[in-house]
Amino acid sequence: MSKGRRWALAAIAGLCILAGVGYLVFAALDPSSVSTDAQPVAGQGAGDLASAQLMVRAVDREDPFLNGRVFVLEGGHPREVDGGELSCERVYFAGDRGLCLATAESGVSYEATIVDSSLQPLEHLDLAGLPSRARVSSDGRYGAMTVFVNGHAYVSSGGFSTVTTIVDMRNGELLGNLEDFKVTRDGEPFEAVDFNFWGITFAADPNRFYATLHTGDRYYLVEGDVKRQTMRVLRDGVECPSLSPDGTRIAFKSRIGDENRWRLAVLDLATLKAHPVAEQRSIDDQPEWLDNRALVYSDGLDVYTVSADGSGKPRLVLRNASSPVSLAAHDQPASKASAEAGSRPLAEG
Amino acid sequence: MYQVEASKALLKPRLWATPAARLSVPRNVVLLGMVSLLTDISAEMVATVLPLYLVFSVGVTPLALGAIDGLYRGAAAIVQVGSGFASDRLQRHKEVMTLGYGLSAVCKVGLVVAGSSVGAIGALVASDRIGKGIRTAPRDALISLSSTKAGLATSFGVHRAMDSAGAMLGPLVAFGILLLAPARFDAVFVVSTAFAFLGLAVLVLAVKARPDRAPAASAAKPSLRVALGIAADRRFRLLLLAAGGLALASVSDTLIYVGLQRQSNFDPTVFPLLFVVTAVAFMALAIPVGRLADRIGRVPVLLAGHAVLLPVYGLLLSSIGTGGVLFALLALGVYFAATDGVTTALAGAILPERLQATGIGILITVMSLGKFGSSLIFGALWFALGLKSAVLLFAVALLAALLVATPLLMRLRQEPVG
Repeated sequence: MSKGRRWALAAIAGLCILAGVGYLVFAALDPSSVSTDAQPVAGQGAGDLASAQLMVRAVDREDPFLNGRVFVLEGGHPREVDGGELSCERVYFAGDRGLCLATAESGVSYEATIVDSSLQPLEHLDLAGLPSRARVSSDGRYGAMTVFVNGHAYVSSGGFSTVTTIVDMRNGELLGNLEDFKVTRDGEPFEAVDFNFWGITFAADPNRFYATLHTGDRYYLVEGDVKRQTMRVLRDGVECPSLSPDGTRIAFKSRIGDENRWRLAVLDLATLKAHPVAEQRSIDDQPEWLDNRALVYSDGLDVYTVSADGSGKPRLVLRNASSPVSLAAHDQPASKASAEAGSRPLAEG
Repeated sequence: MYQVEASKALLKPRLWATPAARLSVPRNVVLLGMVSLLTDISAEMVATVLPLYLVFSVGVTPLALGAIDGLYRGAAAIVQVGSGFASDRLQRHKEVMTLGYGLSAVCKVGLVVAGSSVGAIGALVASDRIGKGIRTAPRDALISLSSTKAGLATSFGVHRAMDSAGAMLGPLVAFGILLLAPARFDAVFVVSTAFAFLGLAVLVLAVKARPDRAPAASAAKPSLRVALGIAADRRFRLLLLAAGGLALASVSDTLIYVGLQRQSNFDPTVFPLLFVVTAVAFMALAIPVGRLADRIGRVPVLLAGHAVLLPVYGLLLSSIGTGGVLFALLALGVYFAATDGVTTALAGAILPERLQATGIGILITVMSLGKFGSSLIFGALWFALGLKSAVLLFAVALLAALLVATPLLMRLRQEPVG
């Protein structure tokens, strides 16, 4: 190597190091990345969760520090929860416990946090992959989470793999991984290596749950028992089930053809018959019941509501939000298909 | 030779000469290793954060992520043979390599400015893969041409050790940046770009384009017919057959990790750690195993390296503890150290100087086809018959492949080198 080349190499090396380190210092000191006054909402008189209707997480792709911030909707106005600064990729709340799935502080791994009703952390749990779905039983007893695991897909090329676990929300203890549960179909044991589970929803008795079992090109609705660690197949074509507050119907996403496109639909558990709702677009979300009559869901950017009986039209509830949780739905179990829920309209915008 | 190199090292500035001199590894090989190390830091930094970035900042679902990842795998394989031939034909290995490394470096710049356009990111990931496809065959050819035939396996060992060191450092650097500047993916991309251009600068400014064993500039340029004729060369065909067959009977490391997880039931969160343990073992063993191969022969080392997989298969048959998992990971490290660079070294010794890149390109393609086929078959068998039966069938296949490959490769060995 000639002397000239050696100097050129030294100069380029110096330039590269300077550029890399310089930008890193700039990024680390950038005010937007340490600012705490990124206000997701106009906080008008913070309060607890009891009076709120919906909990959501903010969607803001420009600002990573606003993105994921959890807030609630009360009387049509979004506000922060008193004292609770929580940022999640997926969030759920029921009873007196919340479950927040997020990127860990390091930025390269994931964790779940169990929070109380002021959104204060109680337990941290490591997650095996990208957060996908979160649920808590209506009494706040059990929590369920689904994550996507990288490097775990082996049977189908270009496929993916999920891990769904159930935890005790009192102490963060792992109660089971659905892959270890015994599955039956038509009374016979059912087993295959390519089993994948996702999207748990709990019944009023939290020991009973529903979920999706994927094997081959089938997407089965299964009904499970936490304590006995068993599941049985109910029917095909149901993903991300969500049980209505009265426990009679299941809202879900129904795959269109082989593509990753889904229509939202509602299944009657007594007849196992399903009908689509009025949302025409493809929605990839585990729908949530606003009350016994309407669903609430996100298209990834904004939150919408639509009637569960297939009538009407979808209506925008809130812009720039996802992972909606109905805080009122769990107060009205069983027969009380409440009329007053409809009298508290969700504001637009 | 060792003495001469060592005394030179005393006269030269230590920084430049010692690592090469102590091992008596040609400096060009160490420089090529440095290029790979820097480029791998750059590439692995991006690979570590890209899924996070796509899902959390861009808003892609993990499903679409799988599609972006899987879409372009075939392209690189075809590019490999083409770029190998092009660099032999033009007798410009370094320039073709520069094109490959340059393309990947430009892609890193692209990531900084692409923002949240999924289409643009997909195109950049594809171009990056093509860049990797372009550079691999001429790089290995240049390593081979920079080495003496007696030291080929050591040279490849040094390169592979540096290469995997870069792959280990990349995620650590990305991790460190995100600790300093949380969620600033742009900082990761900028630093990755800096590493990519640093690697490119070492290649352009320091790597010798025409090492000693390279064909003279006046030599006849191989035509396509001559190049394709290499596949008809008896000794090279034996190597292709043996290497392809052994690859087909070897279960991929990812599938072995999944199997180990099933049999020992460890927490899936430690899954990425398995790759790290294997990579550390590979990194540490690549040089000593390469030297061993040069001393006692590449063929026995290559065969022994594959044979090490048999006890690993055995571990997949019943439930095992932490010790078993650790043994399997170390054995996989030995397997990589004894096969990855050593196979290429064998090819480097057989192939004529003017067809090194073409031949190595063909070899790499055959081996990756073998590995791809093995994963498909193993996956299907696992699905249909269960893990145990799939492993047993692959153990039988590997034994058979070893029994067939041993006499084939021994024939290579008996004939005079060159």
